Amino acid sequence: MMEGLEASLDAAVRAGTPLLLASVGEIYAERSGILNLGVEGLMICGALTAFAVTYSTGNPWIGVFAAALVGGLLSLIHGLLSISLRANQVISGIALTMFGLGLSSFVGRKYIGIPINPIPKIKIGFLGDLPLIGKPFFQQDPLVYFSLILTFILWLILFHTRIGINIRSVGENPEAADAMGVNVYLTRYICVFLGGCLGGLGGAYLSIAYTPAWIERMTAGRGWIAVALAIFSLWDPLKAVIGSYLFGGIEAIQFRLQPLGIPASLLGMLPFLLTIAVLVIVSKEVMRKKIGAPSCLGIPYARGEK
Amino acid sequence: MEWTKCAAVAIIVAIITGLAVYYSVPPRIVEVKVTPTPTIAGAPTPPKKIKAGFIYVGPIGDYGWTHAHDVGRKYVEKLFPWLETIYAESVSEADVERFLDRMVQEGCDVVFTTSFGFMDATIAAGEKYPDKLFFHCSGYKRSKNVGTYFAEFYQLYYLNGLMAGALTKTGKVGYVAAHPIPEVVRHINAFAIGVKEVRPDAKIYVRWLFSWYDPAKAREAAETLIAEGVDVLAFTEDSPTVVEVGEEYTKKNHTVYTFAHYSPMLKFGKSSCVSGQLVHWERIYEDIMAKIYSGVYNTTNLENVDYWWMLRQGAVELGCDFGVPINEKFIPLLKEKKVKDPVLGEINVYDLVNVRLKQMKEDVPTFDPFTGPIYDQEGVLRAKPGERLGHDELWTMNWFVQGIVGKIPAAT
Repeated sequence: MMEGLEASLDAAVRAGTPLLLASVGEIYAERSGILNLGVEGLMICGALTAFAVTYSTGNPWIGVFAAALVGGLLSLIHGLLSISLRANQVISGIALTMFGLGLSSFVGRKYIGIPINPIPKIKIGFLGDLPLIGKPFFQQDPLVYFSLILTFILWLILFHTRIGINIRSVGENPEAADAMGVNVYLTRYICVFLGGCLGGLGGAYLSIAYTPAWIERMTAGRGWIAVALAIFSLWDPLKAVIGSYLFGGIEAIQFRLQPLGIPASLLGMLPFLLTIAVLVIVSKEVMRKKIGAPSCLGIPYARGEK
Repeated sequence: MEWTKCAAVAIIVAIITGLAVYYSVPPRIVEVKVTPTPTIAGAPTPPKKIKAGFIYVGPIGDYGWTHAHDVGRKYVEKLFPWLETIYAESVSEADVERFLDRMVQEGCDVVFTTSFGFMDATIAAGEKYPDKLFFHCSGYKRSKNVGTYFAEFYQLYYLNGLMAGALTKTGKVGYVAAHPIPEVVRHINAFAIGVKEVRPDAKIYVRWLFSWYDPAKAREAAETLIAEGVDVLAFTEDSPTVVEVGEEYTKKNHTVYTFAHYSPMLKFGKSSCVSGQLVHWERIYEDIMAKIYSGVYNTTNLENVDYWWMLRQGAVELGCDFGVPINEKFIPLLKEKKVKDPVLGEINVYDLVNVRLKQMKEDVPTFDPFTGPIYDQEGVLRAKPGERLGHDELWTMNWFVQGIVGKIPAAT
């Protein structure tokens, strides 16, 4: 029993890490008022970049860095369209997803069927021997640790610093933020860029740590789950940790439940059902105020216009 | 400033639409340039050209099904100077009709459709374009100008099963399967029959992905099986993930043997990958194209043209890499394990695999894994002693042989 729980938790962390990275990125973008539906495209480009760079340099860390950079740069396309040119964010985001999927399969042809050395797992001293939580949390690859530390830092910034207040106010009421002297455009650009970097990292985790190989469309819809997660976790990075591991766990545990006859398709729907449930709950005005949902999400800001 | 706004919006819409249309991978038609082959002076010039279209269900960048078909397409295009090919990838079932029309409009004389789900649309296209030829892969419907073809793996899965039975220590063998369809069920059964021939007490555990194409799911399925004590893994799925997981565990001194599927995967698991199944669609494409060119196949006689090619015709190959039927590392282990065969007497598994391989390559194969007596999980006799299951029974197989744990879920 204990062993099964440990293995399930381990699987949940593994499967949840790419979701966590991408969804924390999306939280930042959405907190600043920009809905980025291009996460799937950012992740797949990140996955390819990480794989290709790791393959040619032999150093996975350069690959990770490049993936973040490419994710960030690509998301700036969305930034340009939705922030400066005030385009419809939904369309621009979906275009980015399609662009990313197409670009990655076009560029990635020559990397198919090539093995690389994945990022090795590192056991953290005695913590790795702890029962139950040792294997899931302290015997993983460094990207898992990095994702947790980063999430915590980003949570601190978002809720306990001046910068965080600026970001949230830009997403909440850009006119007021502007009046207070916050540079709305710059803040949004930075958040979108950061979100893109994290999306790229999520993809990198897939292609060089989780299932180390390049295969077209290997993200298989995880970008959309990350978008759902940003809402599910009520735009809070810490809650996103729980949400990611929950969603990742659902994915992983289906193979343990299969012999019991629980249909996989039902479990596959669960993340989205849960997200819908959360959406219903937060649709109440009182709830929105309480959790501080970014009320100007998806609305372009035009300075000096009413 | 209203007009600038309008202009900006127009430009954005144009850019987005442009990008979306240009890059939306599903689906696009790619024109393939043909490099003219220099003809030898004096050689007779070919009387005609043939243009062949290929409609793929997946991206040619998977590491399995569509990739292998595309290798076949490129091979025949290079082989026959009179052949020109075009292809469309990532075509969904809903879209295939449009692509069939398009291929015909582009001047294709023959169109190959490579997914089971394309069956009805291909038959319909045959009626719509009676002067064109169509070949549908993996289906069972034919007409006067629509033929079918398939490269079948079950003999190889059986051979993999023999090796798996010899290698397993725990007596638990795992199988990561894509979808519960007859093809996959048949392969699991063939694998199980092989396993149990060498290790009668072994159990075969199956996990379903309900996807042809999701490496992360494949990893979790493999990890789950290993956690349950499985030490040999075979699979049907379009990525090398299962082999990678096996390699990872083996490197950590937890030996997990794996069998590759569809593409050469030895390089993903040098110390885990034992053997596998490889395909040579080019054999089938070569035969079909040559027969079209020479006029053997025309728009009136495809009703009974059904390629069901296996080892004998060279459409499939045993191995985890081309020319490597069995990873050398494991040959001594396979030689150690001896079994008693009613006909062959005491024989080691390595020799047994080779004997069976030879038998199945003969013009009239003297061995077939689906030879009775075969009982299903409920104990129903599915093949009487000595009886071989025929094409139709294999084609519609929806039952598991004994030794497999768990039921076949309802197909999705």
